[in-house]
Amino acid sequence: MCDIQAKLVAWLDRELSSDEAADVDRHIKECRECRDRLATYKQMSEDFDVYCDVVVAGKTRRRVSRWAPVLASAVAAGVVLFLAFPQRRIESPPVLAPTLAAASVPVPTPRAGEAAPRKAVRRRNAVPAVQKRAMKWQPTETAVQIAIPAEEMFPPGAIPEGMNFIAELSIAPDGSVQQVRLRQ
Amino acid sequence: MSDDSVPLSLPLLGLAGSSEVTTLYRELRKPLLRYLVCLGLSSDEAQDVVQDAFLSLQRHLASDGKQENTRGWLFRVAHNQARNRQASYHRRFSEPLDGGMDFLADDATPEQRVLEKEKFRRLAAAMRLLTESERECLLLRAGGLRYREIGEVLGMAVSTVGDTVERAIKKLAEKCNV
Repeated sequence: MCDIQAKLVAWLDRELSSDEAADVDRHIKECRECRDRLATYKQMSEDFDVYCDVVVAGKTRRRVSRWAPVLASAVAAGVVLFLAFPQRRIESPPVLAPTLAAASVPVPTPRAGEAAPRKAVRRRNAVPAVQKRAMKWQPTETAVQIAIPAEEMFPPGAIPEGMNFIAELSIAPDGSVQQVRLRQ
Repeated sequence: MSDDSVPLSLPLLGLAGSSEVTTLYRELRKPLLRYLVCLGLSSDEAQDVVQDAFLSLQRHLASDGKQENTRGWLFRVAHNQARNRQASYHRRFSEPLDGGMDFLADDATPEQRVLEKEKFRRLAAAMRLLTESERECLLLRAGGLRYREIGEVLGMAVSTVGDTVERAIKKLAEKCNV
């Protein structure tokens, strides 16, 4: 092993004095082993430089939320729906107003000494009739179905290898999401 | 890291008046960020540290402080601030090198991508085998600092820096079979 090998990296970095550098210059012209080593160190230094850039690029990329593409897709779907159904209004079911006759019926008041009529037992979650009628109306038809492959939702490399799925969104005519389903 | 990602511009920091500091900021911001991120700081933390380092420089110069080697001084300040922030230095530095392979050209073939990825995975593994001073010397060297400046940042003799850099490069070359 040549003694000069210990100076090769410093020579590469131009850190040697002019005399020392001249010695190394002369030596590497004659010594193939040192030339090879020099090429190796040079390659390693370049690879390390790129490695630093890779680390920086990797950390900077992680600042972007993984859900950003999903949100962007959802917003895009919303815009498409808005453009596809701009005039369509969902008519809400009519709410029945109490009639005049019903309003004029006198409310019986219990007389003194007479037991008050027992209150009708109402369930805690009982639903008024009008509300029940409104609940019967449901947007049953699916207006748009969107299937988004996983690789379109996430940046490259975010999904582990071998894992793949498709997100299916069913969107009702009123723009609400009816169903979100993931299938392989 | 693009120029757009800088959260605060230099004029907002009140440094616009100093042309020397402005020039240094333009020249050294990226190398400093790269050094700090490679040390294990997050991108946001690195931005903060760089801003703080330049603020310190501005204050130092404004108080009639003389600074011969400003580049080395900035790296030293940034290095010390990074050390203060890094409670979990080793854990974060040894994170696996996931993703981040987007630097490859779009026309790279899948085979080239796999080979490059494998090369940097080996390099990342070899980096974990280096001592802390070896890693720091290499990172500062990659930031363009001379051995004398590296010595100032890390508090080491120039000859020790030379030996450490050489040892680190040899170790990496052996582990990566370059």
